[in-house]
Amino acid sequence: MFLNNTYNEFIKIAAKPRSYIGLIALSVLIGVIIFAMKADGSTYISFVTASFEQTLSFSGDIMNGNLIAFIILQMLIVHIPLLVALVTGDLISGEANMGTIRMLASKPISRTQIILSKFLAGALYTLLLTIWLGFLSLYVARWIFGTGDLMVLTSDGLIIHPESDVEWRYIYGFLTAYLSLLTVSTLSICLSAFAENSIGPIVTTMAIIILFTIIGSMDVTVFDSIKPYLFTTHMAAWRSYFEDPVPWDAINESIRILIYHNVILVAIALFQFNRKDITS
Amino acid sequence: MKKVLLFLSFLLVGNLLFAQQSQVLSALVGKLNTVKDYTVDARIVAAVPMIKIKEVNATFYFKQKDKFKVDTKGIAVLPKQGFTDLNKFIANASNYMSIESAGKVISGVNTVLVTVIPTNDNQDVILAKLWIDPKKTIIMSSQVTTKSSGLMTVNYAYSDQLKYGLPSSLVFEIDVKKFKMPKSVAANIHQTDKSSENDGKDKKGKITVHLTNYRVNKGLSDEIFK
Amino acid sequence: MQNTPIIEVTSISKSFGSFEAVKDVSFHVNRGDVFGFLGPNGAGKSTTIRCLLSLIKPNSGEIKLFGETFSSNRSMILSKIGSIIEKPDFYKYLSAEKNLEIFARISGAQVNRKQIHEMLDFVGLRGREKHRIKGFSHGMKQRLGIAQTLLHQPDLIILDEPTTGLDPQGIIEIRNLILRLKTEQNKTILLSSHQLSEIELIANRMVIINKGKTLVEGDVSELLNQQEVLILLEVDNVEKAMSLIHSKFPLSSPELNASGQIELTLQKNQTALLNKELIKAEILVSALEPKRKLEDFFIKIIGA
Repeated sequence: MFLNNTYNEFIKIAAKPRSYIGLIALSVLIGVIIFAMKADGSTYISFVTASFEQTLSFSGDIMNGNLIAFIILQMLIVHIPLLVALVTGDLISGEANMGTIRMLASKPISRTQIILSKFLAGALYTLLLTIWLGFLSLYVARWIFGTGDLMVLTSDGLIIHPESDVEWRYIYGFLTAYLSLLTVSTLSICLSAFAENSIGPIVTTMAIIILFTIIGSMDVTVFDSIKPYLFTTHMAAWRSYFEDPVPWDAINESIRILIYHNVILVAIALFQFNRKDITS
Repeated sequence: MKKVLLFLSFLLVGNLLFAQQSQVLSALVGKLNTVKDYTVDARIVAAVPMIKIKEVNATFYFKQKDKFKVDTKGIAVLPKQGFTDLNKFIANASNYMSIESAGKVISGVNTVLVTVIPTNDNQDVILAKLWIDPKKTIIMSSQVTTKSSGLMTVNYAYSDQLKYGLPSSLVFEIDVKKFKMPKSVAANIHQTDKSSENDGKDKKGKITVHLTNYRVNKGLSDEIFK
Repeated sequence: MQNTPIIEVTSISKSFGSFEAVKDVSFHVNRGDVFGFLGPNGAGKSTTIRCLLSLIKPNSGEIKLFGETFSSNRSMILSKIGSIIEKPDFYKYLSAEKNLEIFARISGAQVNRKQIHEMLDFVGLRGREKHRIKGFSHGMKQRLGIAQTLLHQPDLIILDEPTTGLDPQGIIEIRNLILRLKTEQNKTILLSSHQLSEIELIANRMVIINKGKTLVEGDVSELLNQQEVLILLEVDNVEKAMSLIHSKFPLSSPELNASGQIELTLQKNQTALLNKELIKAEILVSALEPKRKLEDFFIKIIGA
């Protein structure tokens, strides 16, 4: 029954026009970035290498697909959560709004299964979005710009990864980025369990992300104790795979925190939905 | 007597004037001018603070008088004050005056220090000091100060291209004091050190270029340099 | 078997904050019943029905369906129930066929596409399989709701206002369908409706609730004494007619209502006789119609 309903959920997601907004928006955004880089990428590179160029010169193909993919990820990782929440924030509250939730909840499927199948469907949609992001940013960018060494600017300095040492970083990076986006998906579905309309959970999800991001970036001692536990602090963990050396312990800690968030949010949603009176 | 002394003074000054170019330097320039073009395989090892990069293989192309190209599959970090700047500067004697003095011992070689001073303000080079092996007519070490890049020290080593004065390795010492990270760079989430600037401890970086398999005067098309 | 209760509601109460929606409601529905669930707006009908479908948890009391409680066997219970609660809502962006597929997949029964098409045909939606619900009228959605209810062959059917928004033709079709389900398939049906005439025609048992409380429960025929019929009479000479009725039909309790009509209660087989007597007495009859008994009963019960 659980798998049947998960299949149902995916049919519903696939049938909604808003599900394609995310995919189309991503394609357009990445297309715009690729166009901009093709037209004037050297200016962007100069910004990165400016402080070194008094003394050093950089030879070789800096503006390659690997770098473009990195730039795209950096730019979009703030915006993609909205595209995720747009769909996943509607999964429960949208049904309440439509009235179909009472049809669903009066079937011989437990409320736990209903919620878990929605989480799973949301996770699959998020995965699809991540794969699409990966395909466009990495493979399409490589097709257009070619491939090569990857130059990454961190707050510690410039790191240049040989081409042969890039692929596995992206694979792990995308997996971790997926976990970050999954946390957004889970958060929006959890909020959706409390609402009767879709706008509330979507806007609230984005507001939480913005608030936590601001708290995380403020250099104020009073926030230092909570920063490590905010999921937004760990949403950029994917970048750590491009450090040298890779801070594995720190990455594992980020993954742990994100998993904890997912588990807790699912538990809250289950609790809320199971005890809720369905009056809509 | 007075007329003789005056004449001798003029002669001395004249000699001094006409004797501005160091003979060692002139000999070096003459040797370097025998290289019309070359291709060489390079292995670049950069040890520069705030830059992490593994060894990179590249191919260097050179053609008289100042065409130079680095061809690499990856990304190579090289000193801005490149391989041809110094040679280009000293090739034109009208650009400078040079003074010889006793140099230091480098790798067991008694060198002659040639100090090269530009004669006009249009040059990027402010001052160049070359420690030259007078017997083999090769540069052992150089210290060049430019307006654009500041001070650059290079140590030279040679093996089988001695006759052309082409080195087998170059060790560049880079001044990294001015390196700064743009503040808008996405922060390293795992960074605990709040400093985003070079803290001043490692102010020098080193780039070593190992050069092997020279192909000298084989003829290179200008197309390569486009 | 016929008197085995399929639904047993015992003293259920439900409050939303300080508002008591349902208070101490009890009734039972036997297997094979067409059970009328009546009450004015806001009586607590929908709340009670939602409790029967585990959409709402009562604060107290017990609900048993098929002899089990939700806590012991929710899945089995709901697999045997088909329901429409208030208006049937579907996924507007999906077709009729897709909607039924979705609900069939979680209904606990194996339903294939052929059966779905047959059901759509059954409810008069042939040719609309691929049409999106967005373009459906209310009547069409109601039909689709019934299709969804019956698709998995449930034993118990709960219909909350199934004829709302239907035209007279549609109302008759639903009534006939319900009768067929009862007589041909021995389904048990709990029917909540404002169409009292429909309840009176098809229900054999009923409960009336008001302000969250049970007022009366029992057999419809017993409660309404259906051997009798209430007549509304319009005549040209009211005094003469009243005198005639008092003499010929002394037990009929004739009364004059505010509209100048005579209301009287007769045995069913006396209606024709009344007409004959009035004509014989040369009293012109402009109208002789049975008044809905249940309506009268209902208003009296609610009013009390």
